[in-house]
Amino acid sequence: MEAELRSNTSTPISVQSPGLLGTALRGCLGSLDGACIEKLLLHCASALESNDVTLAQQVMWVLNNVASALGDPNQRLTSWFLRALISRASRVYPTSMNFNTGNALQRRLMSITELVAYVDLIPWHRFGFCASNSAIFRIIEGYSKVHILDFSITYCMQWPTLVDVLGKRPEGPPSLRITVPSVRPPVPPFLNVSSEEVGLRLANFARSRDVLFELRMIEADSPSSVKNSYCNSLLSKLNILDLDLMDDEALVINCQNWIRYLPEEHKDAFLNIIKGLNPRIIIIVDEDCDLNSSSSLAARITNGFNYLWIPFDSLETFLPKESSQRIEYEADIGYKIENIIGFEGSQRIERLECGIKLSQRMNNIGFSSVAFGEESVKEVKELLDEHASGWGMKQDNDMLVLTWKGHNSVYATAWVPNGYED
Amino acid sequence: MPVDLDNSSTVSGDASVSSTGNQNPPPKSAGKKKRNLPGMPDPDAEVIALSPKTLMATNRFVCEICNKGFQRDQNLQLHRRGHNLPWKLRQRSSKEVRKKVYVCPVAGCVHHEPSRALGDLTGIKKHFCRKHGEKKWKCEKCSKKYAVQSDWKAHSKICGTKEYRCDCGTLFSRRDSFITHRAFCDALAEESAKNHTQSKKLYPETVTRKNPEPDQKSPTVVDSHPPPPSPPSVALAPTPAISAETEPTKIVTSSVLPIRSSSESPENNAPEVIIEEAPRTIGFHVSLSGLSNDHSNNNGAYAGLFATSTASPSLYASSTPSPSLFAPSSSIEPISLCLSTSPSLFGPTIQDPPHFLTPLAPQPAMSATALLQKAAQMGSTGSGGSLLRGLGIVSTTSSSMELSNHDGASLAPGLGLGLPCSSGGSGSGLKELMMGNSSVFGPKQTTLDFLGLGRAVGNGGNPGGGLSALLTSIGNGGGIDLFGNAEFSGKDISRSS
Repeated sequence: MEAELRSNTSTPISVQSPGLLGTALRGCLGSLDGACIEKLLLHCASALESNDVTLAQQVMWVLNNVASALGDPNQRLTSWFLRALISRASRVYPTSMNFNTGNALQRRLMSITELVAYVDLIPWHRFGFCASNSAIFRIIEGYSKVHILDFSITYCMQWPTLVDVLGKRPEGPPSLRITVPSVRPPVPPFLNVSSEEVGLRLANFARSRDVLFELRMIEADSPSSVKNSYCNSLLSKLNILDLDLMDDEALVINCQNWIRYLPEEHKDAFLNIIKGLNPRIIIIVDEDCDLNSSSSLAARITNGFNYLWIPFDSLETFLPKESSQRIEYEADIGYKIENIIGFEGSQRIERLECGIKLSQRMNNIGFSSVAFGEESVKEVKELLDEHASGWGMKQDNDMLVLTWKGHNSVYATAWVPNGYED
Repeated sequence: MPVDLDNSSTVSGDASVSSTGNQNPPPKSAGKKKRNLPGMPDPDAEVIALSPKTLMATNRFVCEICNKGFQRDQNLQLHRRGHNLPWKLRQRSSKEVRKKVYVCPVAGCVHHEPSRALGDLTGIKKHFCRKHGEKKWKCEKCSKKYAVQSDWKAHSKICGTKEYRCDCGTLFSRRDSFITHRAFCDALAEESAKNHTQSKKLYPETVTRKNPEPDQKSPTVVDSHPPPPSPPSVALAPTPAISAETEPTKIVTSSVLPIRSSSESPENNAPEVIIEEAPRTIGFHVSLSGLSNDHSNNNGAYAGLFATSTASPSLYASSTPSPSLFAPSSSIEPISLCLSTSPSLFGPTIQDPPHFLTPLAPQPAMSATALLQKAAQMGSTGSGGSLLRGLGIVSTTSSSMELSNHDGASLAPGLGLGLPCSSGGSGSGLKELMMGNSSVFGPKQTTLDFLGLGRAVGNGGNPGGGLSALLTSIGNGGGIDLFGNAEFSGKDISRSS
């Protein structure tokens, strides 16, 4: 179904002689659309899972002829999936492979202004920023002190626009404290300056907007320690004392594309802890796709392939195939794909949970959803108007969902602990 | 004098097909006329189908005085009046002129159906261009492309009219981006250092309404980008060399994909797999480290892996470990991925012939297998349609194309694909597997290539020279350079027993 819908982005295989094969395979291999590629990926994965290297190799060979890192969106996506499968294959048979594990792949380090351009290339991130900031702005109305606990992977890229509108607030700008964990998940984008430098610049900007500003870090243990202990360490710091929470400040908890990186067993713990901090609002934004820790490899391939085409397809609409910006952006998605397909267990950190499941989880823990107001909806729509026409937004109960050609891309939700609804 | 200035008179003459109307039975009395929605024509209208060529023909009516062209004869006639030439406008006939609607010539398009015809010729022209035409109008400022010139003009008028300019020179069309950039840009830091007290002056929210120089338009970010990361293995960042090297890429595409014409397909119709000799070893050895260096190899992420790409030594050759695929920055150590070279690891080899034809377990695999099988069968009018042949992995002559025992431990850095197999005289193991040599797949050397991936042509004396043909057709004939290392090219790589 998904693949069918995207048949217009299918990958035509040029057929020189339109003879028997061309006609016989029309609609199938003559034009390897998403559905065919997905089948081949699944075929390859199942061959690897059953140790049938020969078959895996053959399917890879076919996939390789479809894949092209500089081709059309499906070809590009396929090339990353193929790479992830090969990476997995090499990891599954470690004794026999000449695999120089070294460390995690190093990624390009961006300058801070490059990161701005990266974040705004498509509305993938900005959608969440826009909806969240609008909701935050509304909820902190009247407060003179605001404290934001910020869990995100984009280095405060969300905050300048909020600082900007806070500076223009009729009742005068509040003082703003933003607290971020000192350690972030090891996923792109990576920045070539320290968080301190980001904080300094943001403070400088806030000063220009007459907003009293402070950026604080929650010092969790260094990432070199065992994963779980990092998470435990972080969770242990989420208390009123360590966070220096004050009674007279409005606490906002902002999670942008971050919850997924919590180990499954810590997700509820984290949510319970932040619930206990008595926040005015909790924002959760993430990609609307199901790749959680219990998914099988096949399910991850299917879900991932039928989801991650979206950024590839949207980049196609306005960037040339050889655009370095596009290639870099896609490479970062490829990095995720490799993690989704290539790894298992705690090494697989991309544990996306779709919006509906997240909502159930939030309800079970004792949160009530908060609707985004009309103003937020309007702002998001205006944002999307400035991007390619394929982007849209839909409202699903209290959830806002960014869509591309009608397909869910990113969801944004806002929550309050039960009993605190206005 | 009522003058019919609509375009129907000239257009209907060009109609390549003119049906007598809609399939829907026309209602007898129109009653109150409602404004028709786009694509919901009056059922009484005459449906006109123009060929793409006619549709796109422009200015066919040329003034003999000034050579000005017009799309419609009526317009030319009006123009001729200005030259004081005789002119003639068609008079509206006394009978009510039947309304005309136009369908898109592209079968399958929604507007191809008469029931969704468009009411005016310009509309269908624009539709045809937008949906089925080439987007040849590119906005110089934002690189958006348009198929219809008027769309492009309309966009060009507003594009860049509202811009935000940071002191660093970067322009933004969106305020969010500008604000965010501004917050983190060096320009603000410097300015506020200078001007600490005058915070109000720090709002350089210059909204320019004039169009700046084109060269300033592209966000400087782009210019300052470092070389992009190597995309998937092969994806090769566009380096300066890329333009020069893209041509091989094209060649790869076209030569990899042709489907064998039926004349080339052999006479063997039996679609069965005959395995005469069980292969002894199957290895799967993948090294990706050398691939990223290959700028001409854009088309298949792992083209090198499968040796379908050009065999030019530079492709895979990496006497020095090349910038790894995985690592965007050249400082990263190359990482090589290798799948086992040892048969025992992978358990089942192809000793069981139908093994790889039978689905292994899960449903998806089943269907994919079926897909491949179906494809192989469908295309197999003339050959022993084994799956491998179906895959276009065709046989080769043992003399020229020995892919032989390759010591996995001492892999060459640029090794695309090691296919270690103890290749006996008759050629067993992976060689057969990949190449579809006769000993495995039956007496016939014929190949079938449903994907057109390996083109077993042009290699006359070589009965099953699929891969070599493929390689020669792709590369420069050095197809043996499968391992991508110059030192290993030719016979050096074959260590046949």
